[in-house]
Amino acid sequence: MLPRRVFQFFIIYFLFLGVLMALKYSLALSDYVIPSPSGIFHTLIAEYRQYSLATLNTMTVAVIGQILSVVMALVIGISGRQSTWLGSFIKVAAYNFQAYPIVALAPILFILLGDGFLTRLLIAAMICYFPVLLSVLGIMSKPVDDIEHFYRATGRMRWQLEVKIRTFENLTQLTTVIAGSATLAMAGTIVGEFIAANAGIGYNIRIALYQSDLGKILIALFLIGITIAVYQALLESLGAIIKRAWTGR
Amino acid sequence: MNNKARTLILPASLMVVMALLVATSARAGDKVVYRLKWLRNVSVVGALYAETHGLFEKAGLDVEVKAGGPERDAIRELELGYADFGEASADQVLRARAKGAPVVVIAQLFQVNPLQWMYRPEEMQIDKLADLRGKVIGVTFGGNDETIMNTLLAEAGLGSTDVKLFSVRYDYTPFYRRQVQFWPVYRNAQGPLIAAQLRKEGEGTAFFNPADFGVKFVANCVVTEARTLTERPELVQRFLAALLAGWQEALDPKNQEEAITTLLKYDPDTPRPILEEQLQITRELIQPDAAVAIGTIDEKGWEQTERIMRGQKQLPGVVDLKAILKPVSIRN
Repeated sequence: MLPRRVFQFFIIYFLFLGVLMALKYSLALSDYVIPSPSGIFHTLIAEYRQYSLATLNTMTVAVIGQILSVVMALVIGISGRQSTWLGSFIKVAAYNFQAYPIVALAPILFILLGDGFLTRLLIAAMICYFPVLLSVLGIMSKPVDDIEHFYRATGRMRWQLEVKIRTFENLTQLTTVIAGSATLAMAGTIVGEFIAANAGIGYNIRIALYQSDLGKILIALFLIGITIAVYQALLESLGAIIKRAWTGR
Repeated sequence: MNNKARTLILPASLMVVMALLVATSARAGDKVVYRLKWLRNVSVVGALYAETHGLFEKAGLDVEVKAGGPERDAIRELELGYADFGEASADQVLRARAKGAPVVVIAQLFQVNPLQWMYRPEEMQIDKLADLRGKVIGVTFGGNDETIMNTLLAEAGLGSTDVKLFSVRYDYTPFYRRQVQFWPVYRNAQGPLIAAQLRKEGEGTAFFNPADFGVKFVANCVVTEARTLTERPELVQRFLAALLAGWQEALDPKNQEEAITTLLKYDPDTPRPILEEQLQITRELIQPDAAVAIGTIDEKGWEQTERIMRGQKQLPGVVDLKAILKPVSIRN
């Protein structure tokens, strides 16, 4: 799974670069508008170390933020699965919270909490929790009648059992959503860093933009892309392992 | 008149009307796009004045003035054909030229760089650069204020351990909370606003101007593509004449009311007294010396800017300023 993901990313990235180069040479654009392949290579050599560390820094925040958001989504999703007043209230609160654009909230968070780790973590979690929450709510609100009927009829149904049954029956969907939310967590962290943080690859992209250096931005995009590809592949593998352990298949 | 004649007259009249419309629109002016460096505020008052007072139309131009911003780059837009003229700072022009962008400077708007550092005079006195030692100084990492501050520190013989550089954003809280002693601001735009805020708290403000310590770093200039200048010199001349006339009129104290009204149209949230103060400071930055015409290119300033950037390894080598600086003489 991992080599395939990385290979697919390489295809996408180099196709993108190919389109840029086709534009550059067909329109005779200068290296200022689109850097030459040798310029990009030199930037890679010069910035590789710093940008790799910055990407890892961002990834660390994104991973922790994603874990936080998955836990948050599971708690809210499980509590809000019932069609009670509390369940409906939790859903409304979760939807409303998501309605505020992160770009507007981020500066407030940075003012209140500073521009360090905690703010970036919170932004990452806020951006990626909602899709996970929607899936969890969808899965947890939908009864698996064939199985649940037996436990209800015999009076043995407890909420933990209900959650287990619904999770088990929708495991593929859940792991796909969680793997997909990794991209959102990474994007959220980068947005946060771009707006106000003092570390991470988003911060480096911001500096590169100040210097109008597209070469640096292309290198940053390469590192972000490859890191996400690896992380998603790992999450998918983890999902497959869990599924095998549960189902025995 | 028979039916056949009638059926011929109608299409013929329509064609005449259309031909007239086309002819009129052609006379209405050459279409030109002008990309500003920043949002529509006092720093671009000359362009706004020329736009709202029909100075471009008088020059036979149909100019679309587009607001700039941090994500806009006039030089890239010139090369991609999205703009015909634009505003860019000297560091942008030098970086672009070093990478082969065919950009030329036809006028320099700010004779004094508006990028300065604000501080509280009751806390310190800055008479010489060495007085910066031990201070917490705000800079935008990657921005030209970082380049300027590094140059000042180098001039003062101060190393990275002698001062603390603090990464700044649009939020001034660290300065208000006194976490940072020097905060970079645009003297004419943000300066009066923050100073007014601090005045309310009973605090005074002063500005640290690098030019006072011999560091000249050229700010906003009017740029175009080299090809536009060679192939359409008459258009360049007409555009620049109208634009500089806009600056001249906007900064003329006799037209202050008109200029403020123009600014209020685009910047209605800034109180009038602040706008008046902004306009007064802008006058001093655009034309500090009445003998030097608005738009004059300060070649010495450019030479120093190029040297500074090269010294800080922001340019790969010497950039030929003769190929960049192309002052255009204005015929009245």
